[in-house]
This record gives sequence, structure tokens and C-alpha cells, in this order.
Amino acid sequence: MDGPHDLGGKDGYGPIDVDAPPFKEDWERRQWALSKNVPIPGGTIDFWRHGIENMDPVTYATQPYFAKWCLNEIAHRVDQGLFTMEEVLGGKPESRQDPPAEPLGMVGVLARLRANNTDFRVTMETAPAFTLGDRVRTLNTPVPGHTRLPAYARGHGGTIIAHHGGHLYADAGANGEHRGEHLYTVEFSAKELWGRDEPDTVCLDLWEPYLVRS
Amino acid sequence: MSSYDGKKLGALHRHLHAHMPSDPALRVKALESLAIEKGLVAQETIDTWVEMYSEKVGPKRGAQVVARSWTDPAFRERLLDDAGQAIKEFGFEGHATEHLRAVENTPDTHNLVVCTLCSCYPFAVLGMSPIWYRSAAYRARAVKDPRKVLEEFDVALNDDIKIHVWDSTAELRYLVIPERPDGTEGWEEDRLASLVTRNAMIGTQRDLKVT
Repeated sequence: MDGPHDLGGKDGYGPIDVDAPPFKEDWERRQWALSKNVPIPGGTIDFWRHGIENMDPVTYATQPYFAKWCLNEIAHRVDQGLFTMEEVLGGKPESRQDPPAEPLGMVGVLARLRANNTDFRVTMETAPAFTLGDRVRTLNTPVPGHTRLPAYARGHGGTIIAHHGGHLYADAGANGEHRGEHLYTVEFSAKELWGRDEPDTVCLDLWEPYLVRS
Repeated sequence: MSSYDGKKLGALHRHLHAHMPSDPALRVKALESLAIEKGLVAQETIDTWVEMYSEKVGPKRGAQVVARSWTDPAFRERLLDDAGQAIKEFGFEGHATEHLRAVENTPDTHNLVVCTLCSCYPFAVLGMSPIWYRSAAYRARAVKDPRKVLEEFDVALNDDIKIHVWDSTAELRYLVIPERPDGTEGWEEDRLASLVTRNAMIGTQRDLKVT
């Protein structure tokens, strides 16, 4: 979708706050911890991202990063029926997990961090359509749902510089489908993307359905 | 189960934003209190996770990986071949690192990492990303005008140095391997690691300072 999140190449943004630390406020640290420790079993990472993409554009642009995460965590739990809107707005739980989650000490959270290492590879039954060095072109049509082809890279010619085998396909994952597609790294020249005569390139990881032979 | 209905999520977001207290600290507190009272997580787990990300998980991990790549050619080969596997030798795997890819700076190339669509970052090996990495300004500008962005970080590149910008659009994550600075011959791994900064591993610093 052409949502407020698709920022690559957009003009008008001012200087970068180069000294900004990872966290400014305590609530940001706690939101990061909540996002990684409160289970949300019935969805996909792709639909989670799509929730943020569907925020009102003004809200997306003006809310701090972890404030968006907070709203998104709540919205997905209401969507899945894990929380009711009344619980969220009233603060009174209507149901409780029994037994409650065990507290984790340092050994436990370090183990949880390592266990979160997730493999997105999928064994493919189809051969890859492209090979290293192939010239390809990205599709030039907007997609109504979740996609990981940014608008700035649509309709452009690039070169396949890596093939990663099959990976879970984000566009399908956002619809609840567990399906792989061949994933490639495609290199685009600055000249192709921005019309500037510089030696620089931008490399994107793109699934096969985004690409046609050039 | 999720509805997988983006419009429904958009409506839930609008409702929550309109009806919750506007202060983000109060919103996070509401989520935390409800999750704890419902028995979904223990307060101690949240406290310990916060402590872990301030004390144990941060750019020092990535710096150790980079330092070893300078001193151990066989490790460097494994790192460049499959960084997601190579960092398991340190036990540094975790959030967003299974498909980690290491990209090396050379005298004529420089690498810069961004995520224009959200803020993908190899958390388990670099810790939490800096706020600027997640900012709209960095996400918008890094792909289109990397030279001006680097100037804001006090990195001046000669015109003949080629920049590769890596936009993390899938589940691959990127770790920049900066060049080993001159004057560090014979240094131990820990001393070398002390020179490697978070920004150098994102690509917003090029030359490491020998201290």
C-alpha cells in the first residue's frame, strides 16, 4: 500500500539528529520489552507491520516510534480477541491466564533473546527464474495490501547480485499465508533511481513476484 | 487469530488513538498493567529485559565480531559467507540475525544501511537502534542522497569512493565491516573491538579513531 511508512526518497526532511541515543524515555525501553515478552500467537510479522502501515498518516508522522508500537501491539491484540477494547480503555482485566507467566531472570531473558532467532527460509519446489548478473525490472503498479517493494524502486531496472533461495513471502504473510518465493538482492544505480551521475548504488532484497526480466 | 484485514487494523488504531490518554508514557503503562494483570508477562521479566538491553546487549557485541574478522582470516571468510551462522560462534544470535549479511568497506567502497519501510535492524548483535536510524529524515534521505547524509555525520567521501546503500526490505539484516585502522598491528581482539563504533557498523562512520 502507498502508506505513510514508505519514506525512501521523499523530500522535505531536514537534518538528521545524529546524536540521538537509542532511547530517550523510560517508557520506550518498557515498550521494547513488552513487544518482545508478551506473546501474540495468532499473527505474522508481516501483518504486524501492516497494522502500523494502516495508521492514519498524520498520526504515523507525528507519534514517536515506540508510541506507534504501543498502539499497534494493543490494536493487534484487540483484533485477535486477546484484549477487549473495554479492558484497554477501562484498565480492568475481564479474564486472566492461569497460571500466570513465570517471571524470567537474566538467564531466562538471555535465553529468550537467543530463541527468538527466526529462520525465514522455505524450501522451494520451483527453480529460480533469475540468476546472478541477470538484468531485471521491478513492477510499476501499486499494491493495495502489504508489500516490501518501496515506491521509489518501482518500475526500475537493476541487476541480480545475490540469490537467497526461498524466503517466506511478506505480501502473502500479511494475508496469513505461509508461502515462500525466491528472494534476490537487486542492485540499482543512483543514475537509474535518481537520475544523478554518481557511482553509488542502492541494493534491495526483493522477492521474485516483484521482478520481470529486463 | 488475526483478521488479516488491514482496514480493520486501521480502524482499531484510530479508535485507540482517539480514546486513550495522549501521553505515550500512559499508553505504555496501560498496556504493561493490563498484560501483567492478565498474567501474560511478569513485571520482573520486563524489568530484566530492560536491564539486559542496557547492560548486556549492545554494539559491543558487533564490535567483537568485527575485531575477530580483522585478526582471524578464516572467521572473516565465514562471516562474509553467512554472518547469521558466524555470530552463533559468540552466542550473539537473536532478534533479526538469522539472515544477517556482513558487507565490507574497502579503500574504494563504502556501505550504508537503512530500512526505508520500517526500521529493521540486527538488534541482537547491535542492541537497540539509535533514534536517528528510525527517524523519517534518515529513512527518506539515506537512499536518495547518501553523500549529504554522511556529511551530517562528518563523513566526507571522495567522489571516487562508491557507496552501496543497503535497504533492508526483506528479513536480511546488514552489518558493515569497517576497515581496520592503520597503527593497530599486533593488537589483541578486545583492544581492537574498543575502536569499533555502532555508527561504523551501520555505515555512518568510515574511519575509526585509534585511541
